[in-house]
Amino acid sequence: MVFRDLFSEEHLRLRVLYGLMVAMFIVLLSTLWRMQVIGGSTYQTDLVRQSVRRVRLPGMRGRIFDRAGRCLADNRPSYCIAIYLEELRKPGAWSRTIERVDALIERMSAILEIPRQVTAEDIRIHTRRRLPLAFLAWRDVDEIAIARLAENMMGEPGVDIYIEAVRAYPFGRSACHLLGYVGRAEQRSVDDEPYHYYLPEMGGKAGLEKLFDGVLRGEPGGRLVRVDVSGFRYEDLAERVPNNGLDLQLALDLEIQEIAERAIGDHPGAAVVVDPQNGDLLAMVSSPGFDLNDFAPAISAARWNELLQDESRPLMNRVTAGGYPPGSTFKPVVALAALENDKATPQTSFNCPGYFMLGRLRMGCWYARGHGVLNMEQSLEHSCNVYYFRLGLQCGFEPIYHQAAALGFGKKTDITVDYEIPGLLPSDGWKRRTMNDGWRDGDTCNISIGQGALLATPIQMAMYAAALANSGHLYRPRVVKAITDEQGKTVRSFPPQIANELKWSATTIRTVREGMRDVVMAPRGTGRLAGVPGVNMAGKTGTAEVGRKEDGRKLAWMIAFAPYDNPKYAVVVMVEDGVSGGTTAAPIVKDIFSSLLASDKKAGDG
Amino acid sequence: MNWNHVRAILARMDWIMIFAVVALLVIGVMFIYSAGYRGEDAPVASFYERQMLWALVGGFFFISTAFMDYRRLRDAAWWLYFVAMLLLVLVLLVGKEMYGARRWLTLFGLQVQPSEFAKLAALVVVARFLGRPGRQLDDPVKIFQVLSIVGVPFLLIVKEPDLGTAAMLIPVAFMMMFAAGVPLKHMLILAGIGLLLMPFGWFLLGNYQKERVLVFLNPNRDPLGAGWNKIQSGIAVGSGGFSGKGYLKGTQNVLGFLPRTVAPTDFIYSVIAEETGFVGSAILLFLYALLLWSCVRAALVARDRFGRLLAVGVGSLLFCHAFVNMAMTIGLLPITGLPLPLISYGGSFMVAIMIGLGIVQSVYVRRYHE
Repeated sequence: MVFRDLFSEEHLRLRVLYGLMVAMFIVLLSTLWRMQVIGGSTYQTDLVRQSVRRVRLPGMRGRIFDRAGRCLADNRPSYCIAIYLEELRKPGAWSRTIERVDALIERMSAILEIPRQVTAEDIRIHTRRRLPLAFLAWRDVDEIAIARLAENMMGEPGVDIYIEAVRAYPFGRSACHLLGYVGRAEQRSVDDEPYHYYLPEMGGKAGLEKLFDGVLRGEPGGRLVRVDVSGFRYEDLAERVPNNGLDLQLALDLEIQEIAERAIGDHPGAAVVVDPQNGDLLAMVSSPGFDLNDFAPAISAARWNELLQDESRPLMNRVTAGGYPPGSTFKPVVALAALENDKATPQTSFNCPGYFMLGRLRMGCWYARGHGVLNMEQSLEHSCNVYYFRLGLQCGFEPIYHQAAALGFGKKTDITVDYEIPGLLPSDGWKRRTMNDGWRDGDTCNISIGQGALLATPIQMAMYAAALANSGHLYRPRVVKAITDEQGKTVRSFPPQIANELKWSATTIRTVREGMRDVVMAPRGTGRLAGVPGVNMAGKTGTAEVGRKEDGRKLAWMIAFAPYDNPKYAVVVMVEDGVSGGTTAAPIVKDIFSSLLASDKKAGDG
Repeated sequence: MNWNHVRAILARMDWIMIFAVVALLVIGVMFIYSAGYRGEDAPVASFYERQMLWALVGGFFFISTAFMDYRRLRDAAWWLYFVAMLLLVLVLLVGKEMYGARRWLTLFGLQVQPSEFAKLAALVVVARFLGRPGRQLDDPVKIFQVLSIVGVPFLLIVKEPDLGTAAMLIPVAFMMMFAAGVPLKHMLILAGIGLLLMPFGWFLLGNYQKERVLVFLNPNRDPLGAGWNKIQSGIAVGSGGFSGKGYLKGTQNVLGFLPRTVAPTDFIYSVIAEETGFVGSAILLFLYALLLWSCVRAALVARDRFGRLLAVGVGSLLFCHAFVNMAMTIGLLPITGLPLPLISYGGSFMVAIMIGLGIVQSVYVRRYHE
């Protein structure tokens, strides 16, 4: 009896024991359910985060062509020596692998006779940030080093030649300000960086390279790589092929650009050539310039500082970023304002005794002996200041202001460059705001000869000259004609754009144009030195005082267009620290036109 | 032993147990293969081949033990115990040191872990001690006697050090005492005292053990060091989802996030859970539950108390290893280096547990006749 009882209790205990075991298994089962079924996606995310990496592959950058299809910004292959760190992995701490790679680079440096470009620290950064990618120990090495590598080190594990695309500017300094340059694109901050392995990519830093960066850069591709615990590439999961960037077709004519560059030389100044029939920017020179190839693949710190500290400011694009008093080149504006508002006629004449008395203030003409009696055409030919003091006062400031504004003064031309200033067209309101003083007759006199607070950029002057040439269409300068794809198919085109239509009467514009023709064509015209034999052309010189009066610094200007009857080119030349428009700028204009027309003739003959 | 005798024994065997054992062994080899898989082009680590050999050796011991009458162990119990203790002492003196611990003895060219066999020997002695008819189990002194029997191997194994393996002796002893009928009151008091003493045990732990406990409490404490295995095992198990990624498709061990040294051994369950998901993990639990039921059934039908307690002891040993290993894999318990019975790569524990199951089979075959 006792025996049986004991047995049954033992049976019960065995069943309880088994029950407990099963209960504990159920605890395991419910935890598994929680982890695998309910929380599975969280762990899945953790898994992807630690083992899947995205690698960014840049697209080939688009090129830039001039209007004749000459390539101004190209890509060239650059030979790099790559080291695949994965193949040189040493067991144990990474520092051992880094030491090994460092020693290899040291040895290669001796064999290839090229100095080291990377430090051990660079290697360490690479192992941490983009291990599956090739580590570029040397970038852009010459053929000799590549030949030595092929001869001596082929078969060396982990070493390979890697070809990288580098920006190249076949014409070096030409149109440097317009084209701009590229630099290593900034890496976005760590937080929004969707790529674990970032391939440094070129981004536009200035000029069209910067402005059209999104177009030129194209669409980067990417690759999903599964890596193992040490960061080694295990397999590629997916790849999206990068798309190459699109090309830019410019209105610029390289031949004209080079003509203008040669004409202006190294002297600080600017020159612009536009097509007055559509606003095409044919040439744009800001002098001095710089060599774009200094920036590819990367500019040295020394050269960069040199450019930054150069007092002639080679990095500044004077054409769009420089505001200068236009001087006498502004006089046609005053003439147009007076004629259009019936304040004067082509016959309106004033006597120039060599000076003008504004109240008790004596204001001199540049020709101290006096021009005598001049009508409007003659006033332009001789650029008489006294005539314009009196015409300005007779006309009043208001019409001059409106005419100048209609011709684009004081407003950006919206040229597609990365930086443009609007210049300054002063007004009564502006003077009250900045000088706490109202507009006076003296201000009217000053602006009538293009002085005072008035500031214009060379590109504004070019478009103004073009409007005079085509008798009233103020164009927006056209830099880019079209965006094309690799096959040359137009993706987007940019038709000429008119910024303003000036409804001048036929008499008005004829008077001004004829006056401007006399500037060049008449034997005593101020711009006669610009004349090219056998060519009927027109222009206006200007000499503006800048800085303090005591320094006596002068800007030499000339605007011009030709041929007179059906203008093909409008030109502006500005030279800093010149003698006068007629002596400094006019010969440059002549250089430009003679070359332009000679090459046109040649093209015509051919 | 004639052929009829063999037939009679085979007929009386527990085939459910044999089914469960074979199933677990096959799963073990399969996933040790998977844990050694490195992608299509790379050679598979050869652990699985040796595991197959261990399974065959284990099978031989299982059958041999099943045919042997377990009652002969009663007389041999103390001898086995002394030999086992001697080997444990020997390990401490001339054992091979690996990973900072002396756990292996080289016997006849084989690496043997005597601690695995010592656990078996200890439970045979406990079964004999508690199984003697007429013992007054409500005498508290008996409990201390049982604890002394397991205390000697416990201390020797702790000295190696291999706290995880040593610690298994305690719950096994308790389960056997419970099954034998030791009054619950005594056991609860003892367990209470044990719990109260636990905080002092903290000071006996080695630094790496303390670290494991701290990491268990807060895995992000040292995610690249001590917390690494726990986190990676969690990711492997969790990312398996409901139905798993498929055989050989798990990435955690292929990519090495689950360290290659532990993937086929202590963390094999994590490989299984990643590749077979909740379904596979649950099937594995079911197979263990089936195997445990075989042990309990053998205990229920055993012809004497010694046999019953042997079956309970082996079942408890199996349960404790399986539970602690799986609970560790899924993050319910701190990391301990305990193998998953019949599945984890390794020879000593495989042979020991197969001998144990052979004993249970022997008990079942010689069960009480109605």
